Amino acid sequence: MTENTSPDEKTIPFYPDHVTNEAKVALGIGVLLIIIGVIGLSVPVGLQPPADPMDTPAHVKPEWYFLALYQIIKFLPKSTGAVLPVIFAILVMIWPFLDNKPDKTKKAARVRFIVTAVLMVILIALTVWGEVS
Amino acid sequence: MNLLHRRILLGFAAFVLIGALLLLFAHQSQARVVEPNWELARQSAGLPPASVSPDLPGLPPPPRQDPCLHCHIAGEEKGLWTPLVRWLVFGAAGLVLVFGVVQSVSMWKTRAPWKPLMARAGAWIEERYEIAAPLEKLLNKPVPDWQRRWWYCLGGITSFLFVVQCITGIMLAFYYQPTPEAAYASIQFIESEVRFGAAIRMIHHWSANGMIVMCTAHMLRVFIIGAYKKPRELNWVTGVSLLILTLAFGLTGYLLPWDQRAYWASTVATEIAGSMPAIGDLALVYLRVGWNLGAQTLSRFYALHVLIIPLATVTFMGLHFMMVRRQGIMKPL
Repeated sequence: MTENTSPDEKTIPFYPDHVTNEAKVALGIGVLLIIIGVIGLSVPVGLQPPADPMDTPAHVKPEWYFLALYQIIKFLPKSTGAVLPVIFAILVMIWPFLDNKPDKTKKAARVRFIVTAVLMVILIALTVWGEVS
Repeated sequence: MNLLHRRILLGFAAFVLIGALLLLFAHQSQARVVEPNWELARQSAGLPPASVSPDLPGLPPPPRQDPCLHCHIAGEEKGLWTPLVRWLVFGAAGLVLVFGVVQSVSMWKTRAPWKPLMARAGAWIEERYEIAAPLEKLLNKPVPDWQRRWWYCLGGITSFLFVVQCITGIMLAFYYQPTPEAAYASIQFIESEVRFGAAIRMIHHWSANGMIVMCTAHMLRVFIIGAYKKPRELNWVTGVSLLILTLAFGLTGYLLPWDQRAYWASTVATEIAGSMPAIGDLALVYLRVGWNLGAQTLSRFYALHVLIIPLATVTFMGLHFMMVRRQGIMKPL
């Protein structure tokens, strides 16, 4: 079934060993979330004033995960700024069919790591910029 | 065992038949009973006649005579049938009971060995659905030891957070009201009145952010390792769809509190969609149900947030997991 799991490879059974490991991770995240919830009892998420379509606040911002996009759109022509992320999303979606040669060496992974790191730095920079501006 | 059942049934049927016949007969004999002579009964009991005692005003009427007395005291009913019917009915019932107890004891001697209830339930299901073999195959699949690294956890954490989101989201939906008039107040109610409501909302809020972070991190891990390559292309496609759905969750969920931040953030986010060429206006009108954010927008975002996107996410997650399961995790070079 798994062509890259050779019989002489060291394995652990899915159940109970692997499931136990997963359960430990889930338990850790669950404890973290419960701590967050307990904090929320004294410091709740809270609300701003009720929505008022007549009163536009000074600094209108989207959610943080759309901030980078919003920042790009500020500096590009309106239609380009909206088309660019769509093209990017389509590109990401069909990426396996564009880059379909199997890796020969570790170099390809390193190149992808660098590209990812640069893209992430740009993305985080844009998000921070959008947050402070 | 079948023979025993038949005997018990036959005994029971005989008991019912005899009882029914006797009751019928007793009923017919009772139908002939005339109104008892109460004066005679009083005389024989040594009581003064009822007609002599005046009905005093203010006193309650004299109690109604127990009709059962007539066969014991008054002595009109000298028949044999009433005691005979009773003896036969209750005697037959007692005989059937003794018979059943004796037979049960004899069965207890030849009883099947006791099996735990869980084993019985398992055998019951196995007899009908035969899932033990596939389940064993599913659970005994070997997992390579090298994948016990933290960066292989990210996808699992995302799915765990999704489960958390489902549970806390259902909890919030019990109190949330998706109308512009009531939404804000219902969130205030959740935060101040509902027990642990503030904690549940906090978990839902941060788990949503964590889900986006973890989803992205998982995607970057897959990209860097190159796990999207043949034969896992469709896995990548479903994964990207899941990320988009997660972002859609965020977009639709952010509006629901209906405060200033939610309203204007959603205004801006839908404006981004609206600035697309050709389909921009269509997208804007679809998202906002009109040119401005209003009650219809809130309704639509709520429906998307709690019905459409969860269903799509669960579908894509199922496909994603089945493909991962089938192909295993790619071993890096």
